[in-house]
Amino acid sequence: MFDKVLVANRGEVALRIIRACREMGIESVAVHSTIDADAMHVRLADASVCIGPPPASESYLNKVAILAAAEISGAQAIHPGYGFLAENADFAQMVGEHGFVFIGPDPEHIRLMGDKIAAKAAVRRLGLPVVPGTDGPITHEVMARDAAEAIGYPVLIKAVAGGGGRGMVVAADEPALLEGLRLARREAEAGFGDDRVYLEKYLDRPRHIELQILADHHGHCIHLGERDCSVQRRHQKVIEEAPSTVLDEAMRAKLGKRVTDGLVRLGYRNAGTVEFLYQDGELYFIEMNTRLQVEHPVTEMITGIDLVRAQIEIAAGEPLGLAQTDVRFDGHAIECRINAEDAKTLLPTPGRVQAYHAPAGPGVRVDSALYAGAGVPPYYDSLIGKLIVHDRSRADCLNRLRRALGEYVIAGLPTSIPLLQAIIREPAFVEGDYHIDWLAGFLRGWQTGN
Amino acid sequence: MAKPKVDTALIETLAELLQRTGLTEIELAEGDSRIRVARQPQPLVASVPASAHASAPASPAVSDQAIGQAAAEEHPGAVRAPMVGTVYLTPEPGAPPFIKVGADVSEGQILLIIEAMKVMNPIRAARSGRIANLLVANGDPVEYGELLLIIE
Repeated sequence: MFDKVLVANRGEVALRIIRACREMGIESVAVHSTIDADAMHVRLADASVCIGPPPASESYLNKVAILAAAEISGAQAIHPGYGFLAENADFAQMVGEHGFVFIGPDPEHIRLMGDKIAAKAAVRRLGLPVVPGTDGPITHEVMARDAAEAIGYPVLIKAVAGGGGRGMVVAADEPALLEGLRLARREAEAGFGDDRVYLEKYLDRPRHIELQILADHHGHCIHLGERDCSVQRRHQKVIEEAPSTVLDEAMRAKLGKRVTDGLVRLGYRNAGTVEFLYQDGELYFIEMNTRLQVEHPVTEMITGIDLVRAQIEIAAGEPLGLAQTDVRFDGHAIECRINAEDAKTLLPTPGRVQAYHAPAGPGVRVDSALYAGAGVPPYYDSLIGKLIVHDRSRADCLNRLRRALGEYVIAGLPTSIPLLQAIIREPAFVEGDYHIDWLAGFLRGWQTGN
Repeated sequence: MAKPKVDTALIETLAELLQRTGLTEIELAEGDSRIRVARQPQPLVASVPASAHASAPASPAVSDQAIGQAAAEEHPGAVRAPMVGTVYLTPEPGAPPFIKVGADVSEGQILLIIEAMKVMNPIRAARSGRIANLLVANGDPVEYGELLLIIE
């Protein structure tokens, strides 16, 4: 096992890793920018190194500075957390080349899953379901018509070079397809200088379901069940829960087996999350995150397994001490992401915390680096806290969440807590009847209402 | 890097002593072990007792309230580390150092080297003058922004 681990991150996730290290008897080294000199991760670590000025590109994204900090502090391994350099294959490779251990997967797997098209092709070869679509670009109308027939309407026309919703057109039938094809091509040419488009099955109300896995260096891979992260805004998750209200035990076991078998064949190591869209009883792969995720505590609450500890043990070469049959799911857990943003306008609100009181009591967990007097600098992510509650059932969990959100006091800057309180009161959320576009609809009313 | 056993209580005592006496540095040697407590801005806190209580001041067990220190911080000729790394005061092992306290330097002259990831980065004088203080030793780890020396 390592004696000293450098934590290449800030905020609540840096704290999360420092806490795991302390419990494991490992010394932790925090890195920080000049503006974070008084940040909680710097205070709680055993040692700290200032690595640069406030802009992330010169500090938390500065690979050379982080490796130099590892060298001068005598760390043996580097945990990247999430965000920043966590999915940077070049960084993972540099870490290894300089004789440190990267606490995460191999660079080749980070690289593979970072290329969304290559990732999709790879997981299809591994036997995972992907959204049905054309393998390559559509070159003429007959081809488009045949492909759409095979996939089944409605279909989504997407730009090969696309992103951010541009060059995407939904077609409900053949005339709409032919018209949409011309439109999407023109948009793609204008937006990306590449008019190639392809077809995919359009899901009009999918849920975001993701499976947490752990894989060691000895060919063992287990899954820790799913998280439902459908309550999201512009692809940013807002509330996550486990288990999902749409998967039953048989579906979970079947999905888990397919995913873990596939990842063993791939030779994947450490923690990872495989993300799917779910609709009408079917799951379709969208991407894999080759890192710890923000919402990992939800899984920790219902399984009792410490994911960060597992990551460190795996990186040190230890075998997973768990078989799939050892993984038990107990009760229900929900996480709310608390952001430094105005609950109505949803614009970031950096500033200084004047007073701070975190909720507590049975079944409540708060992961946050805030304290009274803490600064929330404008340079970084607006996530300032995560409130996670656990109880026997989803209904009990919702009551506990309402209670805990009501206790949370962060004075001095506006936060998203009022929005979260409103969301969890919504009948659709209470009934678990939501999909990935549900929150956008709710927000339209929320932002214009009083 | 071997991991020395750190006597945190001793360091705290020395830090308090430092504070009280207004000294800038105390070094204590006993057999093979050597402890040096010095006032420096935001030092690399190698194994300082973990201030687990939230309200404890961030880093050092030592705060910089000495007038000499404050003046140094404000000094227009203060030279700070532009990167994290290891300081070398000589062009190569065994060679004479680039600079000495009291020596004159001219603008553009190499003052010292900071090594980061096997790359040697020469740190040059931004102005001509005399080296008033040299606050780092050969082989010292430095953080970004750490005070290295003062040119008067």
